[in-house]
Amino acid sequence: MNIEFGPELESFRQEVAAFLDVAPTPAIREAGKKTTSVFAPFEQVMAWHKILHAKGWAAPAWPKQYGGTGWSVEQRYIFAEECRKRELPPLLPNGLQMVGPMLIELGSEEQKRKHLPGILAGEDYWTQGYSEPNAGSDLASLQCSAVSDGDDYIINGSKIWTTLAHHSNRMFMLVRTSKTGKKQEGITFLLLERTDYPGMEIRPIIGLDGFPEQCEVFFDNVRVPKSGRVGAENDGWSVAKHLLKHERGGSAASPAMLHAIDRIRHTAQQTPSPFGGVLADDPVFQRDLGELEADVMSCRHFEQLAISGHPMARDAAYPSVNKTMNSELSQRISIMMTRVSGIETVPQQLEALVVGSNVAPLGDDFDLIAMPYYLNTRATSIYAGSNEVQRDLIARTVLAANR
Amino acid sequence: MDFNFTEEQVMLRDGVARYLDRNYDFDARQGLLRSGAAWSKETWSQFAELGVLALPFPEEVGGLGGSAATLVPVAETCGEHLTVEPLAFALALAGGALVAAGDNAGARARLADLASGASIGAFAYDEGRGLAAPAQIALAATASGDGVTLNGEKRLVFGAAQADFLVVAARVAGKAGDATGLALLLVDPKTDGVTFTPFRTQDGRSAAHVRFDNVKVAGADVLVRDAHDVIVRLVADAILLLAAEAVGAMSAMMRITGAYATTRKQFGVAIGTFQAVAHRLADMKIALARAHATLTYSTALAEAGRLTARDVSVLKAQVGKLGRAIAEAAVQTHGGVGMTDELSVGHYMKRVLAFESMFGAADYHFRMIGKAA
Ligand SMILES: Cc1cc2nc3c(=O)[nH]c(=O)nc-3n(C[C@H](O)[C@H](O)[C@H](O)COP(=O)(O)OP(=O)(O)OC[C@H]3O[C@@H](n4cnc5c(N)ncnc54)[C@H](O)[C@@H]3O)c2cc1C
Ligand SMILES: Cc1cc2nc3c(=O)[nH]c(=O)nc-3n(C[C@H](O)[C@H](O)[C@H](O)COP(=O)(O)OP(=O)(O)OC[C@H]3O[C@@H](n4cnc5c(N)ncnc54)[C@H](O)[C@@H]3O)c2cc1C
Repeated sequence: MNIEFGPELESFRQEVAAFLDVAPTPAIREAGKKTTSVFAPFEQVMAWHKILHAKGWAAPAWPKQYGGTGWSVEQRYIFAEECRKRELPPLLPNGLQMVGPMLIELGSEEQKRKHLPGILAGEDYWTQGYSEPNAGSDLASLQCSAVSDGDDYIINGSKIWTTLAHHSNRMFMLVRTSKTGKKQEGITFLLLERTDYPGMEIRPIIGLDGFPEQCEVFFDNVRVPKSGRVGAENDGWSVAKHLLKHERGGSAASPAMLHAIDRIRHTAQQTPSPFGGVLADDPVFQRDLGELEADVMSCRHFEQLAISGHPMARDAAYPSVNKTMNSELSQRISIMMTRVSGIETVPQQLEALVVGSNVAPLGDDFDLIAMPYYLNTRATSIYAGSNEVQRDLIARTVLAANR
Repeated sequence: MDFNFTEEQVMLRDGVARYLDRNYDFDARQGLLRSGAAWSKETWSQFAELGVLALPFPEEVGGLGGSAATLVPVAETCGEHLTVEPLAFALALAGGALVAAGDNAGARARLADLASGASIGAFAYDEGRGLAAPAQIALAATASGDGVTLNGEKRLVFGAAQADFLVVAARVAGKAGDATGLALLLVDPKTDGVTFTPFRTQDGRSAAHVRFDNVKVAGADVLVRDAHDVIVRLVADAILLLAAEAVGAMSAMMRITGAYATTRKQFGVAIGTFQAVAHRLADMKIALARAHATLTYSTALAEAGRLTARDVSVLKAQVGKLGRAIAEAAVQTHGGVGMTDELSVGHYMKRVLAFESMFGAADYHFRMIGKAA
């Protein structure tokens, strides 16, 4: 065992800090402060993506040959921490953390050549078309169909909850190509090079926070080239499972959570306690925040072990443990934020939340985002496989070990 | 002991329920909010016609001789319909303050208008993060002539920008934290120096932050001096009615979620057949039973004039905590569709969360309960 970060890392941290202090525009910084879900405001986060790309830092986790930074896991962690400290908008995950890594492993040479540069540069944004109105937790029962026609597929049906589809110019999706045999065996994975094909219609859905983030997508005889297929026809389920690993395991969550704890503590220093003094000095508050922080620290330790290559991360249950733990911690953090904000969570502030808005928040930035963040964070135990489904998966590994 | 409502109360509740069923379903409510209206004037005048607005006030001022507690079944029904009318704020708080002013002529006149639906009032109490009890009120009212001059701000004043009169809880002496030195003041919202920053609340109500810059209040408009205990009583009444609305919202979430779990299918079966889902429904039902019992018992205590500060804390904390639990369970059970603005379930969630944050959150009231007998 060796717990130390090497001394060369300190100069790396300074190099990162020097860049992050000057590179983001004011609009990008504002977008970071007004981020109330895992998806930062689109326009500004893509602008930030392009700035990072110009510096060569858009995809630290990718292999160097595809445009990665070649940083060690420790360096990547430091980069993530420094970004969070400055409340910069986290880059959108679908291209960088899902489609990209999947293509690097499973895509054809042509697909890699065609799609990776656009993802890396922040030119393309990919929406995920898996769920359907009747295929949520039971994803494999999806019905949206693709029928072979020469070099094309013809798609009919609909998708729902496609996050940011209304801003996306690419879509990766699952379609049904066979109705015989096991339902998992008739699914194909497709990359769509456009989201404006004739017959394709995208309708945004307004979320609990009052903003559109997810969408419905309708397909009426939409013709797409077969060259977008990843893997064999009817073998899309294994591609999707592969990709889900990235969605559930993926990146480090603790830098953002620890930053949120710091913000809560900072705000509590400026909040009167009903028992006198400020909330941050209130022993009951300290106990509750302390317990939350201890749980976040365990999450951080778990992440550190995982990125160091510890065998724990190879446990079949790892992605589900990670997903369940992170989602429930972020929900608890969001509750703590609303607890500190108190009645300041009650006003709805749709205009002030828009980046570039000339409507000032009614309170401070913390009050502005506490309730929207709480509401959006409810989704973390629903998406990417609900926590009930995750617990089933985790339990299965416990039971299987004793069979 | 008898914990049933009287025949009159049941009739009034059923009348209100019939009206709301016909005119205030979820779609109608959302349409109302989209129209930009603060609330439904028709509904408010219907409340007047049914006697809801007069019910909690003494007969000698045109009331029907009830109390805030008498209105609990109506408030529960309002909560089930997610109404945005300021029932608790205008009646229990602003109206209650006028009653407490005794034979003050201005208060008497306003009260008659409030009970008939001719005018409406707002109660300026809260001051921002961390205010959980009246003793913490800081808004300064300095003596000038026979009256006072107000300088400072009140936050989250429900119905302020629409009100015909404001009742302001202010500090004439001492400092935040002192139970002494508080007063209730009658303020005309059109007075120079009163400015509103109006907004819609997360749960669809209309409120405003209110600034007071050198606002003169005449001696005759000082409704109550040494007002701490009066404010505590008014807030207790408001908590009772808002808790009733919250419990109504919780019942609705239980009903809607139970129905969804029997109709939504995944893996070829209703999701309610999965034990994880079924147990969550069971937990919701247990929570609702507890909240409902505490509300009903507290109402009986209030009617008997025996609702202590401790009882109020139990009610506020339990309904706040259990309301959150039910709301989170309801959204989770709905999956993705529970996260949308289109379904009512998220709006019910916002209603119970707003309740939880007002007048001291659960963690404050738990401490008050635990502190001393
Ligand atoms: C904010 C957000 C973003 C999303 N983004 C995307 C996206 O970009 N692309 C995409 O394709 N999808 C996306 N989704 C969809 C998401 O993956 C689904 O919502 C999720 O799979 C759950 O499906 P459902 O909503 O149909 O709920 P259901 O499957 O109907 O579940 C309803 C309830 O039943 C429970 N349940 C279901 N089956 C079981 C079981 N076997 N055992 C125990 N409990 C069970 C669930 O846990 C849940 O509580 C997103 C969803 C949200 C909320
Ligand atoms: C202190 C004590 C006093 C008792 N006194 C009496 C007595 O006076 N007379 C008498 O007849 N018996 C008595 N019992 C026995 C008691 O009723 C049984 O222990 C009980 O019915 C559970 O059965 P089990 O112990 O076989 O556990 P199991 O039924 O094997 O259960 C083991 C675990 O599986 C869970 N489980 C089982 N089925 C399900 C399901 N369908 N869904 C979800 N979870 C499930 C259980 O909840 C439990 O956690 C007593 C037990 C205790 C501990």
